[in-house]
Amino acid sequence: MRLQLALARRAVAGAAVATALVMAAAAIAPVWADDQIDLTTTWYLERRRGPEGGLSVVHPQLDVQLDAGDSVTVGAGYTADVVSGATASVFSVDAVASATPFEDVRHEAHASLAIKGSRSGLSVGAGAAAERDYTSINVVVAGNVDLPGKNTNLALSYTHHFDHVCDRDNGMAGALERRALTGLQPCERSSLILVDDTPGETVWREVEIDTAEATLTQNLSPTLAVQAGAYGQILRGFQSNPYRRVAVSGVEPQESVPDVRGRLALFLQANKYLTGLHSAVHGAVRGYSDTWGVNSLALEMGYSQYFGDSLLFRLRGRVYQQTEASFFKDAFFYDTEGPAGAYFTGDRELAPIRNVLGGARLSYIGVGQDGESVWGLFDEVRFELKGDVLLLDELPANPEEDNPAGIGGQFLSSGQLIDAFVLQLALHTAF
Amino acid sequence: MVAAALAGAGCGRFAVRASEKEHLADRTMRFDADGHESAADDHVLSNREGSAGGRGTSGGGCGCN
Repeated sequence: MRLQLALARRAVAGAAVATALVMAAAAIAPVWADDQIDLTTTWYLERRRGPEGGLSVVHPQLDVQLDAGDSVTVGAGYTADVVSGATASVFSVDAVASATPFEDVRHEAHASLAIKGSRSGLSVGAGAAAERDYTSINVVVAGNVDLPGKNTNLALSYTHHFDHVCDRDNGMAGALERRALTGLQPCERSSLILVDDTPGETVWREVEIDTAEATLTQNLSPTLAVQAGAYGQILRGFQSNPYRRVAVSGVEPQESVPDVRGRLALFLQANKYLTGLHSAVHGAVRGYSDTWGVNSLALEMGYSQYFGDSLLFRLRGRVYQQTEASFFKDAFFYDTEGPAGAYFTGDRELAPIRNVLGGARLSYIGVGQDGESVWGLFDEVRFELKGDVLLLDELPANPEEDNPAGIGGQFLSSGQLIDAFVLQLALHTAF
Repeated sequence: MVAAALAGAGCGRFAVRASEKEHLADRTMRFDADGHESAADDHVLSNREGSAGGRGTSGGGCGCN
């Protein structure tokens, strides 16, 4: 609880500092920035056992930024998730037995206003998102300032989410009596993001999320820059998957997790330019801990190489490992021993896992020279093609020698070495 | 963080002169060079892992204006 309160105070302090940066930014000389249009589409495909054989997500992103005067930029954007695939309805030793197909579409729109000065910037923004069973409204304020010498930059951001998730109306039922959504119940909305309960069938449960982040960027030499930062988040409200059931002591109630979660991450990253090779090396490390007991470490390395002035090739790799949440048990133990305290979950994100990512990206960069535009229209055009492969290793949360069912069947994961693929196409234009 | 910023400002004031920032301004050296890619990466990883955050705040630049 002390950590949660500390994170809350940090969020409030972040907002106060960011507000102060508004005044600083307004008093600083303006600079000119390009108008920009960015269009990116990402396709994520995860192998899974079950009726659909996988999980597919298509994620288009569109953002437009336009100058409104010398020091003000307005932005607007849209993203979506088109999801289809298989999911397990019941967390048990045999996930395939309860695997069912599902489809969903999520829409999100956002807008922002930014003030830029010669040494600082401030932006405020808001967004809204909706899908069949979830709505979200968010507000964000962010600011950054170059300290004297312009080799040190301090950036702060604060975001608040007002979210609602559709849940089965379980009245005053106890944790082991709660029923899960099946997808057949109505999740009514009176408008795109305003929700209506359906008594006896469904209720909309609140989730509030406060997120604050502080980042310090430092130039250490003409070819070396480092960045360090801290990230804190508090989530309050209903955080279970309303559709997921867990096999507990012979019954299958809806998943039950705590209503409050505090998160903290610390990170350090560095970029080193290799002048003779016309390339750069990237490194990053992040440590994470939360009040649910998940602790993790991520390490990432990358290498970017120019070929001429227009082609940029990047390789990167990332390894990640996390411990399980304090109330996570392998499926066999929920069924034979019962809940962990008041809680039980079948969320793979709360299980002990190891995740490895490797990928490459090729960029074509066209920049107008000597007053000539690219293709007669743009100051800059960038076209990018990226591919990543992901490997997932599920680890036991409880002693393997005591688990005759094993953990190989409790999730829909394919069990193959390469678990998922990401393909991304992006077009960036400045004019 | 504030102490680190002040220390950084003290050390950084003379660390790199404006005329030496050609490579620091290169997109390969910027931590916020591609917001769409970072957001999509976060989106993918946050649905596979229990952790979140820690990729940096946009706007942290090289002081190259």
